[in-house]
Formats: sequence, structure tokens, C-alpha cells
Amino acid sequence: MNAITPREPLDLDAMPDEAFRLHIRAWIEENYPPELRNPPKRLHWEENKVWYLKLAEKGWLCPGWPREYGGLGLSPAKQIIFTEELERWGCARCNDHGIIMLGPLVIRYGTEEQKQRFLPKILTGEHIWCQGYSEPNSGSDLASLRTEAVDMGDHYLVNGQKIWTTLAQDANWIFLLVRTDKTAKKQEGISFLLADMTSPGITVRPIVNLEMHDEFCEVFLDNVKVPKENLVGQLNKGWDMAKALLSFERIYLGSPRQSAYALARLRQLAEKMGVADDPLFAERYARHRADLEDLKALYARYVAVLKQGRPLGADVSQLKVIQSELFQRITETALEVAGENAALFGPMEGNRHLNPGALYIQARPTSIYGGTNEIQRNILAKNVLELP
Amino acid sequence: MSAAGIAPFDEERLESISMIRDSARGLLGADLARVRALRFTEPGFDPAKLAEMGQAGWIGLAVPEQAGGAGLGMGEAVALAEELGRALAPEPVIPLMLSAHLLAAAGEETVLPLVLAGEAVALTAWQDRANTLEPAASADGARRFVPMGAGASHFLWPVREGGRVALHLLVRDMTEVTNETTQDGGHLSTVRPEPFVGHGPGSHIADDIGEALAEGLDRAALLTAAALLGGMEAAFAMTLDYLRTRQQFGRVIGSFQALQHKAADAKMQVALTRAAVEQAAAALDAGATGDAARALVSRAKARASEAGMLVQQACLQLHGGIGYTDQYDVGLYLRRAMVLAPAFGGAALHRRRFHALTPETEDA
Repeated sequence: MNAITPREPLDLDAMPDEAFRLHIRAWIEENYPPELRNPPKRLHWEENKVWYLKLAEKGWLCPGWPREYGGLGLSPAKQIIFTEELERWGCARCNDHGIIMLGPLVIRYGTEEQKQRFLPKILTGEHIWCQGYSEPNSGSDLASLRTEAVDMGDHYLVNGQKIWTTLAQDANWIFLLVRTDKTAKKQEGISFLLADMTSPGITVRPIVNLEMHDEFCEVFLDNVKVPKENLVGQLNKGWDMAKALLSFERIYLGSPRQSAYALARLRQLAEKMGVADDPLFAERYARHRADLEDLKALYARYVAVLKQGRPLGADVSQLKVIQSELFQRITETALEVAGENAALFGPMEGNRHLNPGALYIQARPTSIYGGTNEIQRNILAKNVLELP
Repeated sequence: MSAAGIAPFDEERLESISMIRDSARGLLGADLARVRALRFTEPGFDPAKLAEMGQAGWIGLAVPEQAGGAGLGMGEAVALAEELGRALAPEPVIPLMLSAHLLAAAGEETVLPLVLAGEAVALTAWQDRANTLEPAASADGARRFVPMGAGASHFLWPVREGGRVALHLLVRDMTEVTNETTQDGGHLSTVRPEPFVGHGPGSHIADDIGEALAEGLDRAALLTAAALLGGMEAAFAMTLDYLRTRQQFGRVIGSFQALQHKAADAKMQVALTRAAVEQAAAALDAGATGDAARALVSRAKARASEAGMLVQQACLQLHGGIGYTDQYDVGLYLRRAMVLAPAFGGAALHRRRFHALTPETEDA
């Protein structure tokens, strides 16, 4: 194959961990747009592309991809350091579905032709991807999805509806889970298909959420023609491929960053409201702090698994439950401390770090998305504890 | 939904309460389109609807007949507030009930009839900070957290001076009003009086309304608790419908025990809230005063503020992703609860006040 020339000439993976960390940190601090630090909402492409393109220019957009595909070829351990440094500086999440989901999937399961066709355009920001998995009647029960792709000889004809498609209005490509065999067991009739969002028959409708933000969309697919060569992997094997990528999501959602951010905001709020030294508050704050440190300790154990390059087990589900519920408790304490200010839609006195109502609202869906906490607890009970 | 046990009112009261409920449901309607259309606008409520509410006697519901009110009790008033909460009415009825109470206590006769008729929006600007039940002491400082001040025609301005609380009345033009949008699409206003000479701004209408204000704030807290209760019941009813119809894994999701237990927990919080709110209302109507009355109100507001948030959170969680969309109604109730829970004192404040006001007996 024609290798994609890496933009980053250095083999960063060969650096000692601490030197690597400082190298990354210095560059982030120098190059990250200060006005985008800790954004209160998920940013749209128009807002975050300056950062996306900076990373792309530097060659650091895809730290986990092999170097021959334009990535940094970082080991899991180095990737974690990279992520920690982004989180430390409060860097916004880019439109990263191509980087973290589609890219790795194509690298693992795609044909040479597909790699050549899609990977370089993720690296340049020419293709912005979104993920078409959930459907209105297939949320927790994702495998029951009904969007259908019918083999028409030279193309597939796709009909159906996707929902909760993050930032679909920014994307020009979508990767889809579609039903290609209605007779098979529900997990075994699903395929993985790539569609150009400009194809006739695709309509995107943004959904305004409780933050009054249009982070999610509905995507309607009405007689959409998708070329045969846009099937990734084998027919009817889409479920297993998609599932292989979800453990990344569970550790990402278990990262202590949201709770840590909320705790820092709670501290500021308590000082502002004059209760930082109140013994009742101090006890509650101490509890949140200890909870956060315990979460970090547990998180570190899973990170250690990844650093050894080993797969995460089903028990990683607990990380997402613990993180999301701690994040929620911290924001609930903040509401109490804020009193009447908790009712406000915008920040207190124009200080965007003092926005307890918005932070509380932001914390609500963390126990829903990425698999509800009820589903995660089912996984723990059934797959981990092996209860009948 | 069946209520838990028997309400602490006699048959005659229950009938009167039921009439109020019916009248309120008739005027408020069940459609939330009106509420949605008023969100994130100014003044954020419908003055014509407010006038209808005034004509229906709502604002003066608990004001004595000799002052132009309906002379009914808190039993009826909490039923009305519950309906306002259920319908998510943005009109500032509870704040106006507080103002009517103060104007009646002050013997004011010019603005009061207009307030009772829903034609004047005289809002009581009593607090100068968050997390307090104490009226402000400074006459000229900013007053905070006045609900829906963009539509105010007047402000009532209590000023705490030593052991007394004087009452001033300001027309809107004598103030500067700034509005901050709230989660429910309404707003809270900060009101600053124009410079004035003498003891206070506007016209001085009473030397000491301290007791009436304390009583009025307690009533407003109890009514707000009832509004939270109405919102809880409405959101919970929607949630039960959803649990009975939404299918995943080939079953209605309400058949999953994890969700059943969450719903059962919410139901218990609703039952506790109703018990506390109606107990307080019945006690006030039976003549409870002083610390005993205050403790009951505080317990009810503490429960409603906390349970309101817990129940709304549970309703949202039980709906999954759809509940987090703005177009789905369940979120409207959570957002209103975020405004009502801290209003007239939040859970922690009222729990502390309840505890401070009630001596524990040996055998308790």
C-alpha cells in the first residue's frame, strides 16, 4: 500500500513517559485557543475546527492510529497520557467520531481501498463523521435496530431513522449500523455501512436538549442509495465490530474529568456563597473529594490494564456508573449551596465558572447516554457477578 | 392517581377544595403549548390570563372578605397552587398572593383591588441575598430574586428597621429592573430603587408589617411546596404512562424491576410531600400560629424542595434519552422545580428552621 506520510517526524512513542508528557503539555498550552478552554457545551465544527486543524497540522490528530496511516502510533500508555494532558488543560472535544471510532474500525476491518479513501480525509478534516447507531425504538436494546439496507445488486437501498446522532449537522459522512438480514438472530443480521451525508434521501433534524443545545440529531434515511463498496467488514458482522469499539466509550465515560471539573466549580461556588467554612458544607465537600480520589484510584487500575495492551472486561461498566453518579451528586450539592441562584439559566454575575443550574442539567444525561446506568448495573449483575 | 390515605380536612372543606381544583383545571387547561410559547420571552406570562385568574378570585383566595378577598383557607390555597404547578402556569400567582396579603394587612385600599383583580402586578421585593427568610434591612440596596419582575407594575418594599418592618410601595418607574433568565424560561429580577430622600423609597404605607410579612412568606413557602407537589404528580403520571407503553427487549420497560423500584421510590416521596403539605395547610386553617405553624410549613417546604428534585430526576432517568430533549414535556417540570425548590427557602434552610422551632420530647 501507499503509506500516508506522518506529519510528525519524531517517534513520540519512543520518548520516556515524563518527557513525553511535558512535550505534549507545552505544545497544548502554547497552541490551544484560550477562549475554548472548558467550554460549557459540546462545540460545533465551526467553533472547534481551529483546534482540529491545528492538531491535524501538527500531525497529532490521531494519536492512536499507526504511523503508516498518519497517526502517532502511540502505545495505550502514551495515549492515556495524551488524553490526560488534553483533559488537564480543559481542551474541547473535537468532532472526533472519525478519529476515535470510524478510523480505528476501518484500520482494523476495512479494505486497503477503504483505508486509502477514508483515512487521509479524516486527517485533513475534509470528512467529518457522525455515528448512526441508536434508533427511536432501539435505545438500550440497540441490537433490535430496524434501519434496513436492501441489496439492490450494485448498491444498498437504506431506509430508516437514527436518533441521538451527535453533531450530525456538522458531519458530511455517517457510519451506520443497518439490518441486512431480518431472519437471523437480532445481533447477527446487522452490517456496518458508510454513507455520504449529501446522498439524496438523508435528512438531519437537530434535537434541542435541556441545555437548549442542539448536540444531538435525528437522521432520516429515505431510499438512500449506498454503494456496495461502502460496506465495512463482512456482511452481517457489523454488531461484533461496533461492540469491539464500545469498551473505549465505557472507559472514556468513566474518566474522572467531569467530576473533577464539577468539584472545582463547587469549591468556587462555596467561596462565592460564603459557605466554604460551614461545617455542614465541609463534610459534604470532603465526602465528594474522597469519592473523587477513590474513583481516580479505580480508574487508574483500568488504565493500567489498557497500558498493558489488554482488553477491558465487562466490569469496566462500574466505572461509568460511579463517575456519572458522583458527577450528579456534586452538582446537586452545588444547587443547594447556590440557593435561588440555582434557578438561573446563565452564569452568576457573568462568571461562566459559576453556573450551577447549567452544570446540574449537564450532569443529568450522563446516567443515560453510553448505556443507561440501569443497563450497566444489569451487565455488572449478570456478566460480572454471574447472578441468575 | 390515588392519594395516600385520607386528607386532614372535613367533608365540607374537601368539597370546597374540590371546587377550587375543578375551577383551576378549567381555567388552566391541560395543554402546555401556552406555557412553551411564553418561555424565554418578556414579561414571560400572559397578562390577560393573569386578569382571568384575578377575576376567578385566585389572588385573593386567602385574603379576608372585608379586604376584598374570597376569605378561604390554606386548604383551598394549596389545592390551587398544586394545580398551578401541575399546569406549569408562568403567571406569578403565588408572589401576588403574598403581596395581596401584605397590602391587606397594611390596610392599603388603592392598589390592593387592582392586585386582586390581576390588573396590577405588585411584586414583593423582600430579599437582598440568596438562602434567607429574613427581609432586607437596607432601604436603598438592590433586592434580588423577584420572580417575573419584567411584568411588574409596582414593587412592595419591606424595610427591616430594628424590631419593625416598614412597608413601602414603589411604582415601577421609580426602579431599575434587570432580569436574569431562569431554567424554566421565566426570570428572576434584581430591583434597585431610584435615589430618594427620607426613610425609604416610594410611598410609606405601613410602619410595621413584620408579623404579616413573616406569615405571608410562610404561606408563600407552603404554596410553593404545593406547586412543587403538583409538578411532581404531573411528571410522575407522564412517567408511569411511559413505563407502561415504551418497549425495549420485547417488553414494556415498566416490567423491569429496576425501573419499578425507582418508580415506587418516587411514589413514596410524592406521598410524603402531600402528607406534609396538607398537614401544614390544615393546621394553619385550624388556627395554628407561631413556632408550631412555622415548623409545619418548614417541614413541608423542606420535603417538597427535596422530593421535588428527587422525583423529577427519577422521571427524567426513567424516560431515558427522550426525557432530555426540550421538546418532551417531562423536562419542563424538572426545570420549573429548579426554580421553585429554592424559592422562599430551600430544603436545607427549612430543615434547619424546623429543627430549631420544634423542641424534641423525651419519648420522641
